[in-house]
Amino acid sequence: MEMTNQTTTPIVTKETKKKIQVDYEGKLTVKERLMKKLSESNTWIKAGVNVLRFILMLGISFVIIYPFIARIAGSFMTYNDVIDSTVAIIPKTPTLEIYKAIIAENNYFEALKNTALLSLICALIQTLISCWIGYGIAKFKFKGNKIIMALVVFTMIVPHNALSLSMKMHFAQFDLFSVITWGNKGVFQLLLGRKLSLTNSFTPYILMSLGGLAFKNGLYIYLMRQFFKGVPDELEESAYVDGSGVFRTFFQIILPLSIPMMITIFLFSFSWQWTDEFYAGVFLPAMLGSDSKVYMMPDVYQLVYQMPQVISKEGMAGVDIYKNVIGNTAGMMIIMPLIIMYLFCQKYLVQGIERSGLVG
Amino acid sequence: MEKTLNIKRRRPASLEKRKARAGYVFVLPFILGIVLIYLPILLDSLWFSFYNMQPGKYGTYKYVFKGFEYYRFAFTGSKDFVGNLLSGLQQLIFEVPAVIIFSLFVAVVLNQKMLGRAAFRAIFFVPVIISTGLMDSINGSDRVSSEMSGGIDDGSNQTGIISAMQVEELFRDMAIGGQLVGKVVDLVNNIYNIINYSGVQMLIFLAGLQSISDSIYEASRIDGATGWETFWKITFPMISPMILVNAVYTIIDSFTRSSNITMKYIKTVSETGPASAMYWIYFISVILIIAAVAGVASTFIFYQRKD
Repeated sequence: MEMTNQTTTPIVTKETKKKIQVDYEGKLTVKERLMKKLSESNTWIKAGVNVLRFILMLGISFVIIYPFIARIAGSFMTYNDVIDSTVAIIPKTPTLEIYKAIIAENNYFEALKNTALLSLICALIQTLISCWIGYGIAKFKFKGNKIIMALVVFTMIVPHNALSLSMKMHFAQFDLFSVITWGNKGVFQLLLGRKLSLTNSFTPYILMSLGGLAFKNGLYIYLMRQFFKGVPDELEESAYVDGSGVFRTFFQIILPLSIPMMITIFLFSFSWQWTDEFYAGVFLPAMLGSDSKVYMMPDVYQLVYQMPQVISKEGMAGVDIYKNVIGNTAGMMIIMPLIIMYLFCQKYLVQGIERSGLVG
Repeated sequence: MEKTLNIKRRRPASLEKRKARAGYVFVLPFILGIVLIYLPILLDSLWFSFYNMQPGKYGTYKYVFKGFEYYRFAFTGSKDFVGNLLSGLQQLIFEVPAVIIFSLFVAVVLNQKMLGRAAFRAIFFVPVIISTGLMDSINGSDRVSSEMSGGIDDGSNQTGIISAMQVEELFRDMAIGGQLVGKVVDLVNNIYNIINYSGVQMLIFLAGLQSISDSIYEASRIDGATGWETFWKITFPMISPMILVNAVYTIIDSFTRSSNITMKYIKTVSETGPASAMYWIYFISVILIIAAVAGVASTFIFYQRKD
């Protein structure tokens, strides 16, 4: 379309040659240009498409955001507001009682501290390990390279629920090279005469992360591998020619290069560890209220149904809706730190993966 | 192969060997993790489906070998399992294309220059951060999100985003099966879940779109290609490897999440033997689906450069 414009109106073709002159000479006034543009049917179609696209995006954004608005609005309601059908979004008597109750009853701050610490540890280990393993798979030709990659994908495919019981038993009585149904004798049993109990601590998480086996770690390794495949080999070759070893090259050239991708993976693993409830149930199984219990975010949500505020209203009309509102408030409190982090980091999330030059 | 390579690059063979050794050092943590931690867990989980576990003295267990009894039980003894397995797989078959199409569409739109693009991007990737694990189960038992996905029937016809009645009236005179219409209505009502499940896929598609060079689009525009042609002749082939990656990821994500129908059903089976057997049957059937998808997809995938 632009091409035809240029051929029919000579004034515009001049513009490309000498801009200053044309600007001075036969340029149409703003009004004339506007009228000309509006008379083209193309402009209207384009504008229509743009508006439609904008409305569509706005609609989908609303679907994503509305639950947050509804839940946050609900969190400031009293019991009477919740069961009042004339109250939709804005509570009649805004109050902080649900927040106060959750903080007082559900060990919120302890769970926050534990979860933040665990997520930070896991995300750091997982990011570095995925980078390390992914680089090995992407850049070195050795026997079994393809098998390792297949195993990475395999660990992603196996549903972790299928492993939950066996995982729980293995970490409750941790031993190397021991299969429970095959006599259950391993290295620690033979050397120390006993097995190690690792549950109700962060050790299982750390071990799994170190082996690249934690939640969705296969995805991180895969993403890192794709990223390193896009890095030209010449870069390392020139470093080798200059006398740098493989590991020095990795730490001094490759690692700084992959920081955008690492930030993306850090964000993934941090936030997915934060909202994880499966591994919390397997690795930290102590009963609520016992001394060895490590409180995590899922416990804050689980405890909602035992809160006195809920129990005292048992049997009253609309108590299910009230429970739901409290549960949602707990959910909002659980993810609020994540949302705040996301607001600051979201540009890195997109940038990292955009610049990664991810290839299929 | 190795020799010609060496001649070309004029490099002593020892460097290749050193590099191979370095490669092992890089993947060593993973190998150790697999051998020391993962394999025993995996094996035990597999054996649990062949053994009867009976609690013995002092918290120990006795194991009695049962062969394929639990597998036979899963297929013949409990009728619910087969039904749940089939409906879970059916859900997968409808959900995967929906997620792929939706996320590709959104990624293409977000890749264009438009008003408020940065804000839309920020909003659309919120589900990446928060739609897993705990939030998934909160969503599952929640009034607000079931309102969004049309799960609540409060008597009026205004549930969900579109009313099923209207769509069914629309399609009644067409020669389309009622079941299919029902599925499509479900999908549209499920838009909230579809959006929540397609965060990572959008991100991967967006990365793929960014890696397509502008000069190809420019050349086609000069040759007079319309936007529609450009999409099908350039964007789609270039993005096709990502479609496979995303399809596999969506399948894995969908069947390992705890809100999956089959997963939910197996969780209700309390005995370890039958439950383990069911998990493995489910797992194997999903592997078969992934293999089929990868096989079909590899016929139309276009790789820009061969590895």
